[in-house]
Amino acid sequence: MSHSDLYAEVDKSAYTNALAKNSPITKTFFALSALLISVSASTFDVPGVVSFIVPIVVFIICTSLTLGLAKVKTHLYLDLFAYPTFMLILSCIVLALLFGSGTPLIEIPLPWTTWTIFKSGISMSINTFLRVESALSCLFFLVLTTSITDLCVLLRRIHIPQVMVEMSMLIYRYIFLFLEISKTMTLAQKLRLKRSGWLSSIRSLAMLAGSLFIRTLDQGERTLTAMNARGYDGEIRILDDFPSTRKTTLLGIVIFDILLITLILVTTNMGVVL
Amino acid sequence: MMFRLENVSHCYSDGTLALDEVSLNFAQGERIAFLGTNGSGKTTLLNHLNGILKPTSGKIYFEDKPLAYDSKSLLNLRKRVGFVFQDPNDQLFASSVKQDVAFGPLNLGYTSERVKQLVKDALTTVGMNEYADKPPHFLSGGQKKRVALAGVLAMEPEVIIMDEPTSSLDPIATSDILHLLLQLNKEKGITLLLATHDVDMVPLFADKLYILNKGKIVSAGTPKTSFSNTELIRKVNLRSPRIAHLFEVLKKENNLPIADELPLTISEARREILRLIDEACKKAVHGV
Repeated sequence: MSHSDLYAEVDKSAYTNALAKNSPITKTFFALSALLISVSASTFDVPGVVSFIVPIVVFIICTSLTLGLAKVKTHLYLDLFAYPTFMLILSCIVLALLFGSGTPLIEIPLPWTTWTIFKSGISMSINTFLRVESALSCLFFLVLTTSITDLCVLLRRIHIPQVMVEMSMLIYRYIFLFLEISKTMTLAQKLRLKRSGWLSSIRSLAMLAGSLFIRTLDQGERTLTAMNARGYDGEIRILDDFPSTRKTTLLGIVIFDILLITLILVTTNMGVVL
Repeated sequence: MMFRLENVSHCYSDGTLALDEVSLNFAQGERIAFLGTNGSGKTTLLNHLNGILKPTSGKIYFEDKPLAYDSKSLLNLRKRVGFVFQDPNDQLFASSVKQDVAFGPLNLGYTSERVKQLVKDALTTVGMNEYADKPPHFLSGGQKKRVALAGVLAMEPEVIIMDEPTSSLDPIATSDILHLLLQLNKEKGITLLLATHDVDMVPLFADKLYILNKGKIVSAGTPKTSFSNTELIRKVNLRSPRIAHLFEVLKKENNLPIADELPLTISEARREILRLIDEACKKAVHGV
């Protein structure tokens, strides 16, 4: 799946998933609290111990909510994980091989020095991997189930500055328009027998970027005119309208968070000791 | 008179004279079409009517008061005179259909409850209520056009101006939009002004037609009288509706006794053909 298709799929999922009509407050509260708790847990920081319980619990719960309850397509979920996981694996390899202190695991003699791989480096690497993947599952739950419109209304409710919410709304709307335009332009370049060499592809890209920039300026002006015609006065007001929040659901999330924190406290120092 | 224009001219900053001494007026409930080639000044003229452009010379009166351009008067004018732009992508800027339609009424300072009702009514009128929570990029061209119209309807205007309402729409979407507009005119008494170069659409829609050429109004009247002046129509690089053209050829080349006012629509053509047959039959009977 190409990058822009992936964005479009994520966007589509946010509107069509089975939880789309649920309150964004509930979904955001759940995702962010689970994220904060799992990332800030001190369990991970014991050197030489791989603490897998909390991150795996969070990961399983978020994933089953996303796939089971919200009915997001499994292949989309996996595709979404693929990019960050690839980067994460590279970083974790570096962490494992070059960081750490204390008890050495392996010592490799090199002509000029000794290369030591530490137990704490390995555990840090695995802990980081688990922690990031569980945090990603929280965020992907939010991203795949909640539409930008709902998030904008929510941001306004918690008094995030107007200008930031307006910008996000406009950027979101026009990203899709310009994705479409740039796709058409790239195709037009290809159809006029764009050469495939590296230098000429850079040149085509520069031309594309240039004309797209001019298009955006032009579009901005026309949109402003159209907004003026409907009485725009410098402030985009947002209709505060989204599904109501059920108190019982919120209570359920609070209980879940408390359980999670308890789990962290109970499992401190527990895990696989290297 | 609802709108009265007196010698309105508009000269763009690059020196193009887009409108040249245009004078016209129209009353409430009329359906008016402005016909002209690309660059004939239709859009420029319409942009003057809700204060997007200011005439470089001449006067515009709305209900016998000259247009004022301070923000309060403009808001008041724009509440009553809605403008639907040619490209709905220019107009739909919000992240969902509902938020976009709510934009106008929210600018008028209505309460949230009232706005919700207006949004719902407007979307129901254009038949897009089930798409209320969808983002604009999910919609087809025709659906975007409907939402753009709903965005204007939600402000409860008395006049709706549409620039090329049917350009880039498929035949079904075109006829849907036309029916919707006619229904709004009939049921709510909304005055409709539209710019177009779709000559076949004009007789179906308008009861008054202005033909523009190079910023000047070259013909004013009903579609019937205007299209009967075939010489003028050709001179300004337009063409007659297909049906009128057919009858013009039949009249000139085959010397059929067709009325001076050429039929423009299918129903008019049907009537004219039946009349011709009827006459021919009578002649045949008397001839024998």
